[in-house]
Amino acid sequence: MPKIAIDSVEYEVPEGRTILQVLDDLGLLGNGVEVPHYCWHPKLSVDGSCRLCQVEIEGVPKLQIACNTPVANGMKVHTKSDRVIAARRGVMELLLINHPLDCPICDQAGECKLQDHAFDWGVPAARTTEPRRPAKKAVDLGPTIVFDQERCILCRRCVRFCREIPKTGELGVVNRGDESLLELFPGSELDNPYSMNVADICPVGALTTRDFRFKIRVWFTDDVESVCNQCSRGCNILASRSNNKVYRFLPRRNDAVNDTWICDHGRMSYKKNSTGRLTAPRADGREASYTDAVKRAGELVRAALDAKGKIVGVASPFASNADLAAFRDLLAALGAGPARFSVPRGESDAILIEAEKAPNAAGCRALGMVESNEQLGRADLALVLGHTLTAEVFGDVRNIVLIDTHESALSARATVALPARTFLEKSGAFTNSRGLVQSFSAVVEPTIEAWSESDALAQIAAAAGIA
Amino acid sequence: MNVEPYVKNYLSEHYGDDSFQTLAGYEAKGGFAGLRKALAQTPEQVVEIVKASGLRGRGGAGFATGLKWSFMPKTNERMKVIVVNGDESEPGSFKDRMIMERGPFEVLEGIIIGAWAMGAQRAYIYVRGEYTRAIRTLEAAVKELYGKKRLGKSTFGVKGFDLDIVVHSGAGAYICGEETGLLESLEGKKGQPRKKPPFPAQHGAFGLPTTVNNIETFAHVPFILDRGVEWFKSRGTEKSPGTTLFGVSGHVERPGLFELPLGTPLREVLGHAGGVRGGRRLKGVMPGGLSMPVLPPSELEVPMAEEFLSQRGTHLGTGGVMVMDESVCMVRVATVVSYFFRDESCGQCTQCREGTAWVHKLCQKIERGRASDADLALLSDVPKLMEGQTICAFADAAAWPIQGLLRHFRDDFEAHLREQKCPFPESFEL
Repeated sequence: MPKIAIDSVEYEVPEGRTILQVLDDLGLLGNGVEVPHYCWHPKLSVDGSCRLCQVEIEGVPKLQIACNTPVANGMKVHTKSDRVIAARRGVMELLLINHPLDCPICDQAGECKLQDHAFDWGVPAARTTEPRRPAKKAVDLGPTIVFDQERCILCRRCVRFCREIPKTGELGVVNRGDESLLELFPGSELDNPYSMNVADICPVGALTTRDFRFKIRVWFTDDVESVCNQCSRGCNILASRSNNKVYRFLPRRNDAVNDTWICDHGRMSYKKNSTGRLTAPRADGREASYTDAVKRAGELVRAALDAKGKIVGVASPFASNADLAAFRDLLAALGAGPARFSVPRGESDAILIEAEKAPNAAGCRALGMVESNEQLGRADLALVLGHTLTAEVFGDVRNIVLIDTHESALSARATVALPARTFLEKSGAFTNSRGLVQSFSAVVEPTIEAWSESDALAQIAAAAGIA
Repeated sequence: MNVEPYVKNYLSEHYGDDSFQTLAGYEAKGGFAGLRKALAQTPEQVVEIVKASGLRGRGGAGFATGLKWSFMPKTNERMKVIVVNGDESEPGSFKDRMIMERGPFEVLEGIIIGAWAMGAQRAYIYVRGEYTRAIRTLEAAVKELYGKKRLGKSTFGVKGFDLDIVVHSGAGAYICGEETGLLESLEGKKGQPRKKPPFPAQHGAFGLPTTVNNIETFAHVPFILDRGVEWFKSRGTEKSPGTTLFGVSGHVERPGLFELPLGTPLREVLGHAGGVRGGRRLKGVMPGGLSMPVLPPSELEVPMAEEFLSQRGTHLGTGGVMVMDESVCMVRVATVVSYFFRDESCGQCTQCREGTAWVHKLCQKIERGRASDADLALLSDVPKLMEGQTICAFADAAAWPIQGLLRHFRDDFEAHLREQKCPFPESFEL
């Protein structure tokens, strides 16, 4: 393995990687070694055009771009020499001569690489008095993305993203020189299942999502690590929260799962946390207090046990591993068979989206639960997590105790319905389709009385007098 | 345009003869003697001969041709490609046009020798789109060779030597004369230079190993093979042997092409062109096309070869000599030059895209008499932000002439600031 020195610190690095890749591999980029860059992105092809990542290499007369320079044994790289800093200042000055500098009304403010690098490397005052290049403002590129052409610094990350990841290629740079403009190809619009990723990779305020723009200043939010629950891929995400509210999902890099992307469907699923929720506990068709509903559920369990009636368990592939384990243990204590579960299915692609539209089917399988969509048949009591099975499947079941996050036909049919916390309201882990167990943290507190499935099951067991 | 240079040498000896553009006429003048000698030797020997000749590329950068040929992979795992740069987009250059129109078989013979030396199976001649006559002439010449079965399978009767030549018309952008911008354009893409690595010898046209040489470079090759290295080196200078077609334009009595040995003093080149028009005084000379810094009249003795010009802060470039007399406003020149480079920048690299436009705006402001000392200071600074930092040499080509004009004609710029107008009423129209 070649040995290289970066700012006089030696590293052993794999062959055939570029300087920026090596810094990224070592976890040093922006974390000890500053090599600012706009056009380079770890998951896209190299463009080499922004010229901000220039570094000095001993023995090479010209500065070299770190994004396209392969490492070689004995290479000595300098990232903060006077020449490097001067080149960075030059690039920043040139990028800013036509930028509108409308930060006070730009939604990227606070998470803008142009702001950040101008702060770090920029010149304190503009030397140009020429009018700035006018261009289109607030253009809809499609259903999800709004484009400010004046702010674009032509790094072409979005162009390469559309060509290389969804392979839809809607975007291109037209014209030459300082008349270069990012544009949609004639007759097309930016409308693909991954379109909103362009807003994440846009280093400036040129591409923003219609959903998030102007909702909140990003410095009022903080980001919590979580995992998307919309399919069995389990894309790693950040949930931006403020005032106990989730404002958006962002992809969180995990090279083993989702690289740096998420699909638009998953990104928009944050809205499900505040719509269609099962808010009020119910017992025997009436609203009840949480305590009374738990008490009633305990009575139903006790009665079924005492009558030696049949008890069945229906698990949910949306439940966390801990909740599923608690469910399995309770069912065993009740002498019931293994729980069944059902997985909603839909379209998949070769990028991220998987056919199983739930995050934890693998967790259900790992606990010996059996997948089935068939009729439950005669039973005295069904203990149910979630509503992945339709109400009709429960035709011959006398009583249903349901613990669920959202309203459904099943919650209307259930004898007892208890609101549950969503994955954003508790900590836990899902097991994805490749068997990776991925943990998530609570992002917000529920605005109603709701407990996790395992807490609710423990309360029911206590109410039923089960040790 | 004349059909032959005013001063001829070996390259252009027969350019006045219309039959020279036919296969029979070319052979009657001894054509293909160099190729026959090349085919009698191994490819490695031919590369060594070209190396020993010291031939330097005539496209502007002056890179050693034999060395470039030796970069091509020696194996035949992938098809190897020769690309011939006939884009000739550098303003002030018009020599390749003459060579293509009047000596097409010289170029083709050089290409075939190059293909033999490098093991290439295909050659693309990329010709500037506006050069319709050159395209027609080359196409007719290629067709004649195919008709006589001298190209394609068993080229010139040599078994296993299969060379196809394709003439390709460009679509008119300066940057398509840059070798990797040309490759992109050849592939049907937007003409934007490629970052390196990979270099064309590994990943060139259509991803194949490729060598790009200028039209004139290939035209010299048959003479080197036929007449020998010593003969070739006896012309020109030690480091820049051979002749070139100097294209003299601007304020001279007799603008045109002059085939002269490299190293001919600039004064002599201008003398062939009849000197400055109307007995006026010389103000400045751009020695190698628009992108090369200007020389003041005090440098007239400079030998026109790269090694001497680079000592004076400029370059031979394409040998397109542009002459300006005393009526010329150098700020106006800067404005025109910077307009050209602003318009032709491909727009990829930050420094080039933004810098060329900024420089042009500053020149315009000074020329219109609306500038301050700060603007002139900026005009000195901005080109420094652009130089040596981009994917291709375009930003250098845009920065250098401005720096040259400022270096030698600062008085002109200061006069504009002082008088708040252009003090050269007789200068050319913008």
